[in-house]
Amino acid sequence: MGKLDVKMNKAADKLTVQMAGTIDEDVDFSQFSLGGNPQIEVELSGLKSINSCGIREWIKWMGTAGPAQISFSNCPKVIVDQINMVDGFLPATGKVSSFFVPYYNDDSGSEKNVLFRYGTEFTEGGVTPPASVKDEEGNEMEMDVIESKYFKFLKK
Amino acid sequence: MKGHNELVKKRGLSIRYKILLLLTSLPLITLTVYLILALRIFEEDKIAYVFDSSSRMSGTMAAQIKTQLNGVLGTTKPIFQDYLSQQKFSSVGESIFQNEFNLEAIVVFKPSATGAYERSAILEKVPDQTAGVLAQLQNHMPSYFAEVEASRRVVKVPRNRPFAGGSLALFADGFGSQSDVTTVEKEKALGAVQILIRKSLIFFGLLISVTVILSLFASSGLTQALTQLFDATKKVAEGDFNIRVDVKSSDEVGSLADNFNIMAAEVSRLLDQTAEKARMESELQTAKTVQETLFPETQAKIGPLAIAGYYEPASECGGDWWHYCQIGNKIFLWIGDATGHGAPAALITSAAKSASTIIERLNITPAKALELLNRSIYDVSKGRIMMTFFLASFDLETGELAYCNASHEAPFLMKKGEGPLKKKDLIPLNEVNNPRLGQARDSVYEQTTIQVETGDLVFFYTDGIPDIQDPAKAAWGEREFIKALIAANKDFPGVSDSVERFAQSFQAHRQGAPLIDDVTFFVVKNEGLS
Repeated sequence: MGKLDVKMNKAADKLTVQMAGTIDEDVDFSQFSLGGNPQIEVELSGLKSINSCGIREWIKWMGTAGPAQISFSNCPKVIVDQINMVDGFLPATGKVSSFFVPYYNDDSGSEKNVLFRYGTEFTEGGVTPPASVKDEEGNEMEMDVIESKYFKFLKK
Repeated sequence: MKGHNELVKKRGLSIRYKILLLLTSLPLITLTVYLILALRIFEEDKIAYVFDSSSRMSGTMAAQIKTQLNGVLGTTKPIFQDYLSQQKFSSVGESIFQNEFNLEAIVVFKPSATGAYERSAILEKVPDQTAGVLAQLQNHMPSYFAEVEASRRVVKVPRNRPFAGGSLALFADGFGSQSDVTTVEKEKALGAVQILIRKSLIFFGLLISVTVILSLFASSGLTQALTQLFDATKKVAEGDFNIRVDVKSSDEVGSLADNFNIMAAEVSRLLDQTAEKARMESELQTAKTVQETLFPETQAKIGPLAIAGYYEPASECGGDWWHYCQIGNKIFLWIGDATGHGAPAALITSAAKSASTIIERLNITPAKALELLNRSIYDVSKGRIMMTFFLASFDLETGELAYCNASHEAPFLMKKGEGPLKKKDLIPLNEVNNPRLGQARDSVYEQTTIQVETGDLVFFYTDGIPDIQDPAKAAWGEREFIKALIAANKDFPGVSDSVERFAQSFQAHRQGAPLIDDVTFFVVKNEGLS
């Protein structure tokens, strides 16, 4: 098994892609064809990191999907950061259906990733964060991102 | 340092001669021991045989002598009686003597006053025929009679025909019980042993000669290969690693030679590799020196704008680049990060610097500047290497900052307020974003503007900063990065202090660990016109 594990499952006219691991210069996306699928759902919760060379390969790979509607679910912070920073990382036909937002409590050091879902915690218009996020000990947690930077992609 | 000749010890006897010595000495010692043991057994057996045969012969001879003596005594008894009665040989006695064919002479000796024995009467068939024997007998007479006196029974007969050199003696112990002793010279009795020794020595000589010849033949085959290896190792010790040995044997020496050839080839390859690596390191060092010229002075003050920066590549050459320049009444602030790091990325930064030198003369907006820079990068890298970039121009008169982002980390504007800097005061400059440089040749770039008031700071950086790792490979992370940024600028210090404080923060986390990506940042501050 390489650094990236990709599982593809095609049902009817929808292709489901599950990714886990690292995307870097060693990745070979040519073995995972996205073409000819009107709908693609990419599940990214297992993705750990992506570097600048991996970004180049990712954008090329996404380009092979053509006009397919691509939905990205369970996007970890590393992916949200790239969506915000790199123009074209999110394909023109791509939408984020859910993504994780890191929370932390500075006193206890607890950390938690909270899933924001389209229609519940966010829409195209903006973010409606949970009123309160607490750790297992009941400590109030705060968002571990700069909101104006992290949620920037929702305003595009 | 010791020379080659000092390191090589002086060698003793050649292994060839050692093998030869071993192969010849082993059979020589074995056969010698065998010969000694065999000769001893053979000699003892021979002595036993001689003893047995001699004793039997002595017994036979004693019996014959006894019979003959009894016969002689019986025949001569009347003659002696006649002489004793007449004190001379009478006609009777002479008649008996003449009729005994076995008797040649009868002599009577009488002891004289001196102890010697004088001849007083004699009967002989032929006159003086026995003169010689009688003279000899007369000479030995005293000793014979001394023995007679001693043993009272012994009559000794002198030998008239000495046996085999005169060492055989017969003793008649009286007429009734006679015993014979036979003595044989050891050299003669053990003559067969001497023959055996001589033949064995000849055989030994032949055997050793054959062994030496065969040993020479066998040892030369073995030592020839070893000599080849020895000569080859000498060459290697002298620094010639291209030497190879040609040994065709399939035994351990052949394997040793094969392994030597493999080892020499591997050492030769490693030496070439080391030389190549040294050459490449030298070239990289040159490239590093050249690349350092691409960066500006780390501190500057241009009008109201103070600038201070920090750059540290992850290897000899880096893919990060930052720069500032004044064009008219605008200060252009450049920061970019090429895909990856190292020499390939450094070449792209070099191209960016070259293009920027021309673009600076055109007096154009940041967006137009990045469009031109994008074409330059694309034409150089053909889409293989890209570059994130952020270009801003600060208007010295209005304090307006126009910026264009090509997918780079958004800098943070830190607005000076009443109190110390807080997290919510960090304003990412991310209102516009554009494709990376080199992604497509004809990309169009947009820009926007923001006001930078007196006292405001802007922090430009590359993405290598949150990735800084400690010796346990734990990344610094965005949270600590933001905390350090706020801590370094909480009182809106001068740019030098800002850079120094921030650098101290990540160096405290890093603890000397190597960088995994280039680290570049710079801070600008609108200090206003005094």
